[in-house]
Amino acid sequence: MATFFEQVSEMGIKQATIAKADEAVERLTAGMNISDIRAALRGDAPRRPNPRLRPHADSFWFHIRPSFYHTEVTHIYPTFRLGWLSTFMFVWETITGILLMVFYTPSPLLAYGNMWNILSNVPLGQLMRNMHRLGAEVMVLVVALHMLRTFLTGSYKKPRQFTWVTGMLLITLTALLSFSGYLLPWDQLAYWALTVFLSGAEAAPAPPVVNETILLILQGAPALGAAGLLRWYLFHVLLLPLILGIFFFVHYYKVVLYGISLPPSREQIGDDTAKRVPKAERTYFTPDILTNELMWTALIILLLTVGSLWFWDAPLEHHADPVVTPLHVVAPWYLAWSQGWLKLADKTLVVGFIPLLLVSFIVMPYVEVGKSRRYADRRVGFTVAFLFIAFMLVSNWMGTPEFRVQSSPELQVSQEVMPQEGNNIMKGVPYEYLTPGVYLPGQEIEGNPWLTNALAAFEEGMSRYSCTLNGNPNLPIEWEPCEVTQTGAGAKYANHFTNDAMPDPYAELRITQRQSDMVKLTLFYLVEDPENPGEFLIDSGDSIYSYRNETSGYTEECRFLNKDC
Amino acid sequence: MQVKVAIGTIAFMLTMIVLGYAALREPARLDESTGAFVGRSIETGGQIFDANCATCHGVNGQAEECYDAGSGEAIPCKGLPLNSYFLVCGEPSQRIVDLGWEGTKFQYIERTVSSGRSGTLMPAWLDQFGGPLRPDQIKNVTLFILNWGDEEFCAQEPSSFAWPDTVDEFMAMDDVQAGDPEAGADVYLNLGCNACHGMPDQEGSNAVGPWLGDIAETGATRVEGQSAMEYVYHSILDPNAFIAPDCPTGPCTDPSLMPGDFAFRMSTNPQDMADILSYLMGE
Repeated sequence: MATFFEQVSEMGIKQATIAKADEAVERLTAGMNISDIRAALRGDAPRRPNPRLRPHADSFWFHIRPSFYHTEVTHIYPTFRLGWLSTFMFVWETITGILLMVFYTPSPLLAYGNMWNILSNVPLGQLMRNMHRLGAEVMVLVVALHMLRTFLTGSYKKPRQFTWVTGMLLITLTALLSFSGYLLPWDQLAYWALTVFLSGAEAAPAPPVVNETILLILQGAPALGAAGLLRWYLFHVLLLPLILGIFFFVHYYKVVLYGISLPPSREQIGDDTAKRVPKAERTYFTPDILTNELMWTALIILLLTVGSLWFWDAPLEHHADPVVTPLHVVAPWYLAWSQGWLKLADKTLVVGFIPLLLVSFIVMPYVEVGKSRRYADRRVGFTVAFLFIAFMLVSNWMGTPEFRVQSSPELQVSQEVMPQEGNNIMKGVPYEYLTPGVYLPGQEIEGNPWLTNALAAFEEGMSRYSCTLNGNPNLPIEWEPCEVTQTGAGAKYANHFTNDAMPDPYAELRITQRQSDMVKLTLFYLVEDPENPGEFLIDSGDSIYSYRNETSGYTEECRFLNKDC
Repeated sequence: MQVKVAIGTIAFMLTMIVLGYAALREPARLDESTGAFVGRSIETGGQIFDANCATCHGVNGQAEECYDAGSGEAIPCKGLPLNSYFLVCGEPSQRIVDLGWEGTKFQYIERTVSSGRSGTLMPAWLDQFGGPLRPDQIKNVTLFILNWGDEEFCAQEPSSFAWPDTVDEFMAMDDVQAGDPEAGADVYLNLGCNACHGMPDQEGSNAVGPWLGDIAETGATRVEGQSAMEYVYHSILDPNAFIAPDCPTGPCTDPSLMPGDFAFRMSTNPQDMADILSYLMGE
């Protein structure tokens, strides 16, 4: 080929430059020059030989992708783009995760401070952290929906059984990845969620020496601390993404190898025609699939950005404290079912059941070998699946503190109104509306709707844990009547909600000025023993309180959808 | 396909606009977040203070209202006032200057809380030194203590009682009665003198400062022309006026470790001075 200077003398500088640029573009795209790209974008038919196929042979990134799809699988149904979306989320998490790594040190001394540094010193740091955390939850959701879709369309059936097997490993890894990131902020939420998880690992149905070794591997020391944090950090940023990456490529190779299964109604029972695509039904990767994917990429990025900026905020509780257990420790929503099971059955049984469940999912396509993928032919399978989904949803609900977790009634009420961790109605009251004084539940404060709301919530919480015996002149609210039962340890008072209610309780919210820019909020409960007047069943004194500094900015957080206050 | 290209392009541009908006409001958000971090640290520090420090330093850090952690009964405060103009106001604050501390008051408090004050009842609180608190908790409690020094509190140096030049003039004042040694013993405990000087009736109980059991005799030998009572009077009002020769750990340090704010702390009730003098003079 002529050198650039020869071309210049032959064609003039303008033409020569255009020709050179064309050549550069053709090399970069491994086969398409500028006019080919423009033609593709315009929707023109390709010239012959089709330059749009060459990148699939010559370039690394394109050779992974098939050069055309069956048109039937390029619509929203049957894939709902969920597999692609899972991949996108993995890339998204990798990028935002690497950015966060720059500002993070896996040490109990520094990690929590790093979080606040990201929030208050790193430009767009909060956005970055929200994107990563929101992305993690979206990814779990998307991967789970992808699995559900694959089941519903029967795409796990022959010949795609092994794709399903790798998919099961991928969903497990996704949940583990999301959960392993949970510990890294080293706040109370992280610390206690992982402690619950590890106590599960310890209870596995195996000889104690095995369990102890597993626990030691998982936390690096007899107790969760510096070694454990470092390990979970390494699981999160190195080991799990690496394994996930490996299985992702196996998974995707199988997808390309067997093709995306057509909608069940589109082929004869027992047929698999995904790879036999008639010319008329081909949709080429370039330009249709490519532009489609770019459009979705732009849309998802927009949604995630807007979501992280205005609608969803990554939680950050107080510094992890091994000696202070928050009242209600909850697992992340995608693992809440396991917490629900723990309340029902023996720990060892539950921990043993989970791997069994995973194995049964993995072997499912080799056992369930019915030929038909049609919905009408799979009534039994669908029934089992929907029962299982219902079971999981109920289990998830059982994982919440609403189910079978109870401490004393005054702590329960305080947990609803003013818990140690997390946002709550009290934090929704702006500092300047926390006027020092003594307030009763349900009291209306003129010109102070925030405090009025909080006091209404206080009364509502009280109403679940209170009952009326003779009435209390200091707090004349008519609760449900008490049902009294005599037990060996004294009388018990019940209402429809709890069998440990406060009879004729008195309660108040005290707001006092602690420092010139900080108030103290005290919830005070006084319940006289109806059987021994002058003695008190509950006298919480000064013990249930929290502070509110003027600059703490909780109300700022309340504008996010996932912060409840 | 053209529609898809258009949608994608618009979405991309909207993302850029959203990011641009986020970048514009970022400085304000960073400030808010810094405030939130400090505010929440102070809140946590307040709870740590209530649980650990208030027993000796008082509920409001003024070494005035102290309650036994177990029984809840009022007890004499063993610690020094922290909610004090001389500790929290100004950078460096008066206490930092008096001690010749080369650093900020934050570092001074953080260091003192971390490692305690050897010889006194003030223990080391940092976990590394055997205490119960983590470094972040010590930072929180330090922020809480310094948060007492708000603008209003620090606007004006607290005015002191006009202490006369000599003890005789002081005792001759109209409002001042003859000292009551029993009341003086209470003042001695309530001001926390015993934390450093020990109990006068127990030789060797002093940990930091000189033992005061024999100050009625030795006091007269310190400064020429000053009686023991005169000497003690001046030493309380200005600890650096004369550095005592014998402290438990060798010669007493110069500048004195004794806080210089007793002149102010006794201003509300100058009779305390007469009482404590009579107590120390063994009357």
